[in-house]
Amino acid sequence: MTSHSPQLFSIVPGSTEPIYRQLVDQVRRMAAGGQLAPGDALPSVRETALQLAVNPMTVSKAYGLLELEGVLERRRGVGMVVADRPRSAGDAGERLALLRPTLERAAREARELELDPDAILTLFTQILKESA
Amino acid sequence: MTASPIQMRGVAKRFDSKPVLDGLDWEVGQGQVIGLLGRNGAGKSTLMECVLGLREIDGGSVQLFGEPLDALSDATRARIGYVPQKSDLFEWMTPLQMLAYFKALYPRWNDAKVTGLLDRWGIDIALRNKPIRRLSGGEQQRLSIIRALAHEPELLVLDEPVSALDPAGRRDFLAELIDGVIERGTTVVFSTHILTDLERVALDVAFLKGGRIVLEGDLDDLLDGAANHVGPDARTPRSLEDLFIEVTR
Repeated sequence: MTSHSPQLFSIVPGSTEPIYRQLVDQVRRMAAGGQLAPGDALPSVRETALQLAVNPMTVSKAYGLLELEGVLERRRGVGMVVADRPRSAGDAGERLALLRPTLERAAREARELELDPDAILTLFTQILKESA
Repeated sequence: MTASPIQMRGVAKRFDSKPVLDGLDWEVGQGQVIGLLGRNGAGKSTLMECVLGLREIDGGSVQLFGEPLDALSDATRARIGYVPQKSDLFEWMTPLQMLAYFKALYPRWNDAKVTGLLDRWGIDIALRNKPIRRLSGGEQQRLSIIRALAHEPELLVLDEPVSALDPAGRRDFLAELIDGVIERGTTVVFSTHILTDLERVALDVAFLKGGRIVLEGDLDDLLDGAANHVGPDARTPRSLEDLFIEVTR
């Protein structure tokens, strides 16, 4: 079990995704992808709020939604931890669904730039290789 | 039930014959952290000045913590903090003299907080003893914020509080707002054109246009709201900037 620091998160204010939703999506992805393992402790609301310079209520809201979804659970004396069986862990289809919002955004920008679909796919393949 | 920190009913304010506030109704509840948005010249500063009794209103009524503005008790006055957009007052005093002057006006004054903020925000001993008019715009603005936080107000009104600050100074201010102000349950009303800062701290937003509050609500709901109008498949994502342009145009 690991205790994570607030550096876990990165947010982009001013985007079309409200900050709370960016946090929810990041935790879901990291829990599904294994960067967050069951039992791992998340940084406290206050630490996270200060590190990201956001209202603590926004962090609470994200954590609360993730708790409702069963991705996180509240543990006495520890705070929020990753739930033992995150609902979507393991299932490739569900993990793929988590990627959809990000790709939809990219697709919209690609259309705005009037790019050729093949060129986009080539670029994405290249990026996947780079970060592997 | 405790009375709302701010309650405005049918407030009118004209400059010459031009209406700036035109029958404006607005209520800010206990503990709300609300961003006031509007185009340049929409009257945000005027609205804040009317709330605080710094300008006489031509019609309607303003109540702060349930007390009418024209009969505000000293005790209620002491619960309010204000950072003006630009302050030309007290320029001949040094920061230490100005802070001592304000300390005498309030029943409560947190010396440790004042010293801590002066230290952390780069107002060193030399600057503390210089006339305020010789401080930079950013230093004056930081000093103005420190003055407004020193008596630990329950209602904090901030008019473009970061306009003269660089990104590092803005981040310091946000950190203080998050840890020292919002954590205490303070009601905060602030205006800014830096929408990314606003999005970080405001839970609610209110748009001023044509002398009235034309749209008000939970910021996340407003940003998510586009989905409800056009159906889930055709969601038009919008940022706070998109919303600002849409609402205030």
